[in-house]
Amino acid sequence: MSDTATPAQTTMDFHPRPSGGEPTPWAFPAPERGTLPNGLTVLRCHRPGQQVIAVDVNLAAPLDAEPEGLEGVATLMSRALSEGTDKHDAEAFAAELERCGATLDTHADHPGVRVSLEVPASRLSLALGLLADALRAPAFAESEIERLVQNRLDEIPHELANPARRAAKELSRELFPPESRMSRPRLGTAETVERIDAAAVRAFYTAHVRPATATVVVVGDLTGIDLDRELADTLGAWTGSAAEPRQVPPVTADDRGRVVIVDRPGSVQTQLLIGRIGADRHDSVWPAQVVGTYCLGGTLTSRLDRVLREEKGYTYGVRSFAQVLRSAPDGSGAAMLAISGSVATDVTGPALGDLWQVLRTLTAEGLTDEERDSAVQNLVGVAPLKYETAAAVADTLADQVEQHLPDDFQAQTYARLAATGTVEATAAVVNAFPVDRLVTVLVGDAEQIAGPVRELGIGEVTVVTG
Amino acid sequence: MGHTATPPPATGGLTATEHRLANGLRVVLSEDHLTPVAAVCLWYDVGSRHEVKGRTGLAHLFEHLMFQGSHQVPGNGHFELVQGAGGSLNGTTSFERTNYFETMPAHELELALWLEADRMGSLLTALDEESMENQRDVVKNERRQRYDNVPYGTAFERLTAMAYPEGHPYHHTPIGSMADLDAASLADAQEFFRTYYAPNNAVLSVVGDIDPERTLAWIEKYFGSIPGHEGKKAPRDGTLPDVMGGEQRVLLEEDVPARSLMAAYRLPHDGTRACEAADVALTVFGGGESSRLHNRLVRRDRSAVAAGFGLLRLAGAPSLGWLDVKASGDVEIAAIEAAVDDELARFAEEGPSPEEMERAQAQLEREWLDRLSTVGGRADELCRYAVLFGDPQLALTAVGRVLDITAEEVRDIARARLRPDNRAVLVYEPTAADAGTDADGTDADGGNDEQQDATEEAGQ
Repeated sequence: MSDTATPAQTTMDFHPRPSGGEPTPWAFPAPERGTLPNGLTVLRCHRPGQQVIAVDVNLAAPLDAEPEGLEGVATLMSRALSEGTDKHDAEAFAAELERCGATLDTHADHPGVRVSLEVPASRLSLALGLLADALRAPAFAESEIERLVQNRLDEIPHELANPARRAAKELSRELFPPESRMSRPRLGTAETVERIDAAAVRAFYTAHVRPATATVVVVGDLTGIDLDRELADTLGAWTGSAAEPRQVPPVTADDRGRVVIVDRPGSVQTQLLIGRIGADRHDSVWPAQVVGTYCLGGTLTSRLDRVLREEKGYTYGVRSFAQVLRSAPDGSGAAMLAISGSVATDVTGPALGDLWQVLRTLTAEGLTDEERDSAVQNLVGVAPLKYETAAAVADTLADQVEQHLPDDFQAQTYARLAATGTVEATAAVVNAFPVDRLVTVLVGDAEQIAGPVRELGIGEVTVVTG
Repeated sequence: MGHTATPPPATGGLTATEHRLANGLRVVLSEDHLTPVAAVCLWYDVGSRHEVKGRTGLAHLFEHLMFQGSHQVPGNGHFELVQGAGGSLNGTTSFERTNYFETMPAHELELALWLEADRMGSLLTALDEESMENQRDVVKNERRQRYDNVPYGTAFERLTAMAYPEGHPYHHTPIGSMADLDAASLADAQEFFRTYYAPNNAVLSVVGDIDPERTLAWIEKYFGSIPGHEGKKAPRDGTLPDVMGGEQRVLLEEDVPARSLMAAYRLPHDGTRACEAADVALTVFGGGESSRLHNRLVRRDRSAVAAGFGLLRLAGAPSLGWLDVKASGDVEIAAIEAAVDDELARFAEEGPSPEEMERAQAQLEREWLDRLSTVGGRADELCRYAVLFGDPQLALTAVGRVLDITAEEVRDIARARLRPDNRAVLVYEPTAADAGTDADGTDADGGNDEQQDATEEAGQ
């Protein structure tokens, strides 16, 4: 209680802002690496207290490996893994999985297929058995594949209706050459999905899914769990031939500055997606690019939101980010560098004008030491928070494997972030977002926004139907 | 302190202590030294249910203003200081409460407490017209982005308005209407703060790698001199009969990608055993990929691209059971609805099988483990049980109450509540044929709208 408190008091005692104590050392966990006799690579990591175990499996089945005209087959194959095995039909498999309190998600993307299991430690054995069945002996029953194809076709109009997803699709089409898999929708088009049948799914599985080219990452509280035995009894029974790693083409893109408006008459907001490609984690500029991109648009106190949100009120939030598309051991991979958000329709021109001004000012004047310090303190300081759960650790370890990075990459990145100076961060973000090499996609009401956008002179403006 | 020295606690091993300052601030502390992080969570017992006619959205708009600086914190200092210290933060507003939270590296805990105390005690010295006008625009853009510019985006507020009658405190949702957001004045915001933002209308929890004695001393130092006051008006009574007593139905013709059937069922208040039974019932019936609804509509009939049933838990009014089905291809809603009703009738008649009970309870148990796996999740749950039910300890035993529910209780609640005369129904009919032929995106589940969580956030 304050000694000045009285019934009439309307204020409080103020104290100086406290300075922090001594930080407790924390390091990104180092996994233990091994190989099962069938060639499956195993990464394991004990995280005390994390009762929900995360198991991520990387399959070397990149979208680039999909046969031409069958785009979407990687997605359908990955979904079909959990639709019945040699032991259970589709309904029974789903029931068994839920009996473990488990979730099993699959995701097919440019680097490969990711299968993610989460399960309470007490039921790990049973769930690992189901995961092994799904990888080792998927049923791929014709009727289930037909159902998944129809389900996928039904999803497409929902995705097209979503402004953010519609923008992502248009940017891919603009940025990448037509012969690149990256120019086409990740989950396939209606035309290609319709052609997929059980035989195509099985052929893709046979060609690209085998233990010798797969990695499993197990993270969580492993107290009292004999993981070697659990794995030997489950994923250890998966067999397959050896295979050479698949060569993928380098990632290239056309980033001549231009604007594409996807017309949505009556939209109350304009969805922005402004992007190009740039350095991935193999490039030594990566840590500086992370710091610089954070200063530009990592949070609501970064440069973009300081103007667009907190000064002008044009948006709920605009973010800049770098997201790895695909990496290769020789460094020929790339990341998508982008700025995204949505702004009210009637201020679309002024908002883009301000956004370009933020980039020009950044180029002309660079970042300040205070911005760099704050960014580094956040990016490094949040690590123990960010990696509290087993799933977060497993996800990053699996990303590293998928991107051909060493197991200690993330741990080293924190040291490199801390060593990044203001000048390096400025150079990296200015190179990442050059004002004349950005492809802008706007999903919004063309009649209202095309004129003001043309006046900005940020590139030729074309309008396509929504 | 080493973070591997302590044996790992089972979730049942978590403990929490309770304290109360002289000004009425309730405090809950929970130690866990496994990771060097600490979560601070502050729940104010005010939400959109406290708003009055003509000022919907004020609680949420006000939540944004709490990030615009206070006496010793200039401008965006709350965000800048926390993020600069390696922490993360946000605030959210729901029907029943407003929460503010920071997760910090453990050695920066004191900063988060200082910041929360500063705005609890001195917000009005910094709040001005400029912040008000700016955040009004930000919130209007939040509304456009999350509701007005996405297909089916206004379904939640439409169904809520049907499920709770005109004049009921839950009739409107936290985001509020554009007209009311425009009408809110600086004086309204000041009055709102003076009425609801007081230490005796809040619960503060601190969870993680903390020294409880030192933490409590900091809390006393920073919050102890903030005067409490008793000016708070109780929310209007949210009590309603157990069932709606008749089906309400609205057909919307809109530019949406597919037909959709949505419905809200009236269910028991959160905090009751019957609400836990309803949670299990909805999980068995429509909670996952082995649920009755999914098996019937998505697997067997192939009439839906996605079908699910979720629970919106509410303590001050009946909870809502939330049905969401997106039709496949040209399937008519009538066919889907007949199948849903057929399955509901069968469920009410026979109740869940032992296998279904096992699956549903295993899923709900994992969801609890997930929620308690982070210090921030635990801090939020401790506040929730303290504010809504007067006892934070209930958070630590919640999973046991779910596992205690019997098949008979599930059957009884399904029979009593999952009935056509206890629901509000919203049917979407697309206005134009969709011309699209392809798609892309960032997740594999595009047809499945996320369950509405009824909260609005300060930061994106």
